[in-house]
Amino acid sequence: MRNLALLQFSCMVRKVLIANRGEIAVRVMRTLREMGIGAVAVYSDADRTSLHVRMADEAAHIGPAPSSESYLRVDRILDAARRHGVDAIHPGYGFLSENADFAAACGAAGIVFIGPSADSIRSMGSKTAARRIAVTAGVPVVPGTERGVSLEEAHAFGRENGYPILLKAVGGGGGKGMRAVEREAELDSAFRNAASEAERAFGNSQIYIERLITRPRHIEIQVLGDRHGNMVHLGERECSLQRRHQKVIEECPSPLIASHPEMRRAMGEAAIAAARSAGYYNAGTVEFLVDADRRFYFLEMNTRLQVEHPVTELVTGLDLVRLQIEIAGGARLPFRQEDISWQGSAIECRIYAEDPYNNFMPSPGKLTRLTRPLGPGVRLDGCIYDGWTVPVDYDPLLAKLAVWAATREDAIARTQRALGEFDVGGIRTNIEFFRQIVDDEEVRAGRLHTSLIEEFFTRHRQPAPPEELTAVAALAAALHTGANGNGNGAGQRSSSDLSPWLSAGRSDLLR
Amino acid sequence: MTVDLTINGAQGRIEILAPAPDCRFRIGDAAEQQAQVERPEPGVYSILIDGRSYEAHVEETPRGLVVTVRGFHFEIDVRDPRRRGRRASARGREGVETLAALMPGKVVRVLVAPGDAVEAGQGIVVVEAMKMQNEMKAARGGRVASVAVQEGATVTAGEVLATIE
Repeated sequence: MRNLALLQFSCMVRKVLIANRGEIAVRVMRTLREMGIGAVAVYSDADRTSLHVRMADEAAHIGPAPSSESYLRVDRILDAARRHGVDAIHPGYGFLSENADFAAACGAAGIVFIGPSADSIRSMGSKTAARRIAVTAGVPVVPGTERGVSLEEAHAFGRENGYPILLKAVGGGGGKGMRAVEREAELDSAFRNAASEAERAFGNSQIYIERLITRPRHIEIQVLGDRHGNMVHLGERECSLQRRHQKVIEECPSPLIASHPEMRRAMGEAAIAAARSAGYYNAGTVEFLVDADRRFYFLEMNTRLQVEHPVTELVTGLDLVRLQIEIAGGARLPFRQEDISWQGSAIECRIYAEDPYNNFMPSPGKLTRLTRPLGPGVRLDGCIYDGWTVPVDYDPLLAKLAVWAATREDAIARTQRALGEFDVGGIRTNIEFFRQIVDDEEVRAGRLHTSLIEEFFTRHRQPAPPEELTAVAALAAALHTGANGNGNGAGQRSSSDLSPWLSAGRSDLLR
Repeated sequence: MTVDLTINGAQGRIEILAPAPDCRFRIGDAAEQQAQVERPEPGVYSILIDGRSYEAHVEETPRGLVVTVRGFHFEIDVRDPRRRGRRASARGREGVETLAALMPGKVVRVLVAPGDAVEAGQGIVVVEAMKMQNEMKAARGGRVASVAVQEGATVTAGEVLATIE
């Protein structure tokens, strides 16, 4: 299938600048190297020793540590691109990846932007415009009012569509001016509070309404289109496991779709329809909410490569970055929809520098020790190395641990195994949190929804450690303290409790 | 060597009767045990007891030692006067609480001034790291005795931010 593809580039890509850093810059570079394309890194003052700079063929300094002075500076990045004579720019995710002006500026500078057109980015970047595009394409959206409403209209909406409903500020986001209303009796006061909160936060008291979908699943569809009008979907990723609205685990197949396979086709066709009506090409992702009755609703479209793209690569056997580059170079899609197939099950965990035992506080600093998980079916995308100092200036993603196995059950076991091998010293990571969440009954059963992790914290009690492991921990702590010259001298005895440790401890520790 | 420890909130004592590698130890008043101990990497202890193989990973954090064994997590406070004196987050002088940065970052806001009365859990200083703002909170109520940092300052983990008496 691949060989057919052969990809007559209308413009040859020989050298690519990656307008990003860290994990995704390294990911893109790996494909560039396999394709024999030169890789140009950009870096801020904080990233001179980062892996993406070390791995690159060429590197350009673009400013001080704050991203507003470096990775978000269109002028400096384009200047570096010209100096290094690149043909194309890969934006990665985050930073400038969904900035329509950047995509347009690349075009104006005669440099290929590896992604969709500036117009597609612009129209999908606006929530209301994206919603209109979806509606035009016949794709279901969460029922709601298209504009701000009066209290009387809110009552009418509730009577017509049923409760619960969600009041949202027209002027903004971030939860301000947002209220969930469970029944009509609560509507008057909720509406007034939401409107005055919105007025204070955004200077705009207008409120619009959506039906509230409780405990939804978040399932997204990967689409891929060329510049000749061909488009396919590459199936779904279920990203329902989120903490503070950030995805932490993604998988394909979705356990829901695995038991209702017809949904993949229906959602895939809806995603293609939405993307087509925005004139979309290159890789993109259409996000949906799915309710308890398995109805799906368009949420938004991400006009870039997603963090979680490896799970799609693992089950389809495709290299999405390679396809992105080929498409940007003018190639036709090397396959049709019926050529795409999905094998086995893939799960990804986002490993962050944060302390799960201390309210997920960020934990930057120097890695003093690193053992990477290896062995069958394990893929690690990351930017970490032993001795690297994790900068305080950027988001705390260290690595993405993705595994593949024949079944979901095997993939969960493999994830557990790989997490057990993964050792990062010197900083705190959320690896231990993943070991517990992946072991959760609801997660194993595939009964996923976006509040699962929040509920997990309230219902989960960490099992008490076996006495033998407590003894091992005590011995290690004592030897470590002694080895570092901080131990008590022999004979210093206190009158405190002499009993061995109770394994009770703090059962609510993980919060 | 005798060490008093608090593990996940429970108190206990361990006696090291013979040092590593061929270690003998006793926990509380339980029977003496033997352990063959190697340290293949800094902070990693490979421990063989009765033919079973364990690996303990020890991290030094601003709030004490964190030890991981087979996925279980232990927060261990080694009660040694010299060690405690070096930990900024521990109580210093009688009745004075020091508030230390839990991670390196930048001070974006100082929420109190010396002399202010504060309650337990009240935010004292906001430190930004990795695009997230984190409020460092008072562990107990009292009066702010000193503020050691200014807005815009860069701090390291364990650095004293303020004292409360």
